[in-house]
Amino acid sequence: MTPSPWDRAKQSLSEELEAHLKLAIAERIANGEDPSHARAAALRELGNVPLVQDVTRERWGWSWLENLLHDARYALRQLRRSPAFTATALLTLAFGIGANLGVFQLLYAVILAQLPVPHPQELVRVHAARSPFDQGWQVSYPAYQRLRAATPDVPLMATAYVQNVSIELANHASIEASSRLVSGNYFSGLGVAPAAGRLFVLADERIGQDVWPVVLRYEFARNTFDSAQQAVGQHLLINGRAFLVIGVARRGFFGDITGFAPDTWMPLALQSTDAFAVPWDSLGPGHDVSLDKPWYNQPTIFWLELTARIPPQRRAAVLAHWDQAFRNDREVMTEATADPSAKAALLRVTTAAVPLSDNGMRKRFTAPLTLLMALSASIFLVGCLNLANLQLARLHARAHELSVRMALGASSGRLIRQIVLEDALLVAGGSVSALVLGRAASGILIRWASNRNGLFTLDLHPNLPLAALGAGLMLLSLLCFSILPVVFFIRSGVAQTAGSRAKVAGISQTARQRWRSNALLGAQVSLSLLLSTMSACFTATLVHWETVNVGMDREHVLIVHPDFHQPRYTKHADMLPELYSRIQQRLQALPGVRSAAVEMCGGIHCGWITALYAQGRSDLTDTQVHGQEDHVGLGFFSTVGIPFLRGRDFTSSDNDSTQRVAILSRSYARQLFGDADPIGQWVGYEPAPNDRKFLIVGEVADARVNGARREPPPMVYMSINQNPAPINSIRVRAVGDPSQLSESVRQALHQVDPALPVGEIVPLATELNGDLGTETLLARLAGIYSSLTLLLVGIGFYGVMSSRAVRRKAEFGIRLALGATRGHIHRLIVGQTARILLAGMLPGALLSIFAVRAASHVLYGSVTANSFAIVVASLVLASAGSLATFIPARRAAQADPLEALRIE
Amino acid sequence: MAATTKYKNRIEILQGTLDMLILQAIERQPMHGYAIAQRIRSRSGEVLTVETGFLYPALHRLERQKWVKSQWKLTESKQRAKFYQLTALGKRQLTADHQRWLELVRAIGSVMQPEVQP
Repeated sequence: MTPSPWDRAKQSLSEELEAHLKLAIAERIANGEDPSHARAAALRELGNVPLVQDVTRERWGWSWLENLLHDARYALRQLRRSPAFTATALLTLAFGIGANLGVFQLLYAVILAQLPVPHPQELVRVHAARSPFDQGWQVSYPAYQRLRAATPDVPLMATAYVQNVSIELANHASIEASSRLVSGNYFSGLGVAPAAGRLFVLADERIGQDVWPVVLRYEFARNTFDSAQQAVGQHLLINGRAFLVIGVARRGFFGDITGFAPDTWMPLALQSTDAFAVPWDSLGPGHDVSLDKPWYNQPTIFWLELTARIPPQRRAAVLAHWDQAFRNDREVMTEATADPSAKAALLRVTTAAVPLSDNGMRKRFTAPLTLLMALSASIFLVGCLNLANLQLARLHARAHELSVRMALGASSGRLIRQIVLEDALLVAGGSVSALVLGRAASGILIRWASNRNGLFTLDLHPNLPLAALGAGLMLLSLLCFSILPVVFFIRSGVAQTAGSRAKVAGISQTARQRWRSNALLGAQVSLSLLLSTMSACFTATLVHWETVNVGMDREHVLIVHPDFHQPRYTKHADMLPELYSRIQQRLQALPGVRSAAVEMCGGIHCGWITALYAQGRSDLTDTQVHGQEDHVGLGFFSTVGIPFLRGRDFTSSDNDSTQRVAILSRSYARQLFGDADPIGQWVGYEPAPNDRKFLIVGEVADARVNGARREPPPMVYMSINQNPAPINSIRVRAVGDPSQLSESVRQALHQVDPALPVGEIVPLATELNGDLGTETLLARLAGIYSSLTLLLVGIGFYGVMSSRAVRRKAEFGIRLALGATRGHIHRLIVGQTARILLAGMLPGALLSIFAVRAASHVLYGSVTANSFAIVVASLVLASAGSLATFIPARRAAQADPLEALRIE
Repeated sequence: MAATTKYKNRIEILQGTLDMLILQAIERQPMHGYAIAQRIRSRSGEVLTVETGFLYPALHRLERQKWVKSQWKLTESKQRAKFYQLTALGKRQLTADHQRWLELVRAIGSVMQPEVQP
């Protein structure tokens, strides 16, 4: 190994001093002195050589570095000597800081981050009018054109949802990608620059192009084509249409909707190709709506969401302008309702500008994420308190060594520096793991929070606030568990009572120090009680929603997702009822299958909003008229387990040539007919005289078809055989565990129709629970936190009580010799734990009540019911604490009185 | 830190003058540490003694300030030693230090002169 410059300089210095000595001796001898005498005199004159070297080296200005390296080596040695403490500290720090970073990353991406475009505060959503059925803010294409023409200088962008698309590349398997249709001014209006190629211009809005332009998201382009540059110019097939990648949006642009990042952006005009499924709303049947014709010239199909860039000072004027331009559309929209008050309310609405931050994602997650942030902060604090306590115990154990070193002249500053450096190394190590852990945690948290069918896509790149939080937590932890305890310890003078080990060990633990470690333990207990209570509440909430009666047989039903949206089915819809019947018969013949039925709905929360007008009841309001509609096959109700209350099910004689029939759910029947018997009544999609279209033949119980957490909607079920159309799901009711059937169901479907693509097959319970993202996130994370804090409290009690037991060994021995029983000693130690537990639980319980109150809107049940969780959490905590004390208490009670007396 | 032993029969080198004395000692020719100490002692008539504990830290500091530069060479007695040589920067510093010193001596001198009674 070549010597470092530092070592060479040191070598050179000692040679220089040696030369000095030799020259001095030589001169003394030359002057006639005796050689041995000359050497001694020269040495005396030279003085303390190492000291001279030290002082000289200080002049080089690097000595602090040398000291630091020296201390660092010493610190590493110390850490290696206490592996248990090192491991506990590393894990606690990694988890405490990592959890905070992970949750903050999510909180930042969902709540705090703004769009990465210039002046994001100028961007607003334009809310002109709610669409008649879905109550969204979509408008028609002609309305969008009118608004854009009314204010040519204001960038007004239109976007539309589109179902996931399938992309085919040359020599590549097809990829499923998310997408969004956007107007030509979308990117220029937002102010997004391309990473490569170009973004949309107005000419891209042209209808009927042979090769359509598409813009890719940066990460998607990089994952698919290796780089943004390589993606540009690629030819693709999307849903069977020819596309050319014209550009890639800048890195970090995830679209304008928090949580949903489209992989591709395509022009609005693509709607006219009919190759893409775009959600829409309209005035309902009976109005001039042709869905299969292009939508760009139809003022009664509402499908575009509007976003605009307006400087705040111009906002009022622009909105007033748009109100004028939109008046006619609003009047058209009133045709959808027969309710005069609803018509008036619709006309009273004025166009509004809503900040982009005012989105559903933020509304849904602000409370849970803030809560989680608070819980993460608590776990961090518990960790720090625990480490501070361990640190104090460790310092006590080292008191003898430290006192000897101080007596030998080590400055207290240097001692403090050495110990703090030791902990700084721990913090640094812990933080590196925390970064990795936090990164992974955000990914896992997103998965937990997401709905089963749609993973959130959020920008999780490290950012400045995250780095600041990380550095802040590092410093805070260092201050809490290292600097403060060490300074207290050295200042308290314990280490200065140099001398006998017995003295240090026996007397030095003053009441104040005991009080300090008790207070630390008590604070830990308080925070742990809080975390355990919250965890119990969140778990109870999750369990409630996972087991609530949904009005269906959630444990035995399998949902199969076939894809009937292919020309061979859609072009021959009249053949479908026969195919459905064959599928049903084949599936019902499978062993283990009780029944099977087809359904238009694909899963939960999919029935479309409809309006039913009851014959002879012209006084119904809009809220009474509106409900949700689904088309089902024969045997649907018995398959999913929705019981009949009155009337009959659909039969095979309800077909295209017989009277149209409908079945109402209990709540819809009550809305339309009150307590009267709905069987035999007439309803229609339009008010009189068109309100005599469907005959009500049955009434079924309410079911939570929109997910366990949502109230059962008013439902009307129609027969799929009277309205032949592609279905989106097949329900199979099993005798036992439904997931066991998936493979045989898939094979049976293949036998019936080999050309039918079959997608996912999931149990109904999974589908229902997939909607419980927020609850799952809270319950799982709080669960992890509370078990960790229980562990930490256990470690804390064990550590403190065993070091006390060791310190008081002699005392216990004497007590035993004087007639105390082992039970007394045992009770003494356990009594201490009990007092600390009690003292910590009281403030902890208060804290928990506040937290339960603050979190009541994400919890199921009343505050009082949830407060009961405090009792449960206290019991768990008390048993954890007692268990941890049990071993040290037993050990103390085993003290040998003879040995104790001998030591004395 | 550096423990200072006081020799009562010797005059302490005035604070801030050590640099000047060292620079003056090597003004004509490069010298090693021992020779510098000897030269200051002999030129001061055995009154000023520079302790190694002060000499070497000072030399290394002067080198860091680029007032002197060093080189390993052989002495006349064939002993390897580190020779210090004045740099242009050091020369300028020496002139300035010397100037200030003369002013100081003059000023102290006139303060200490017995006042002439009119």
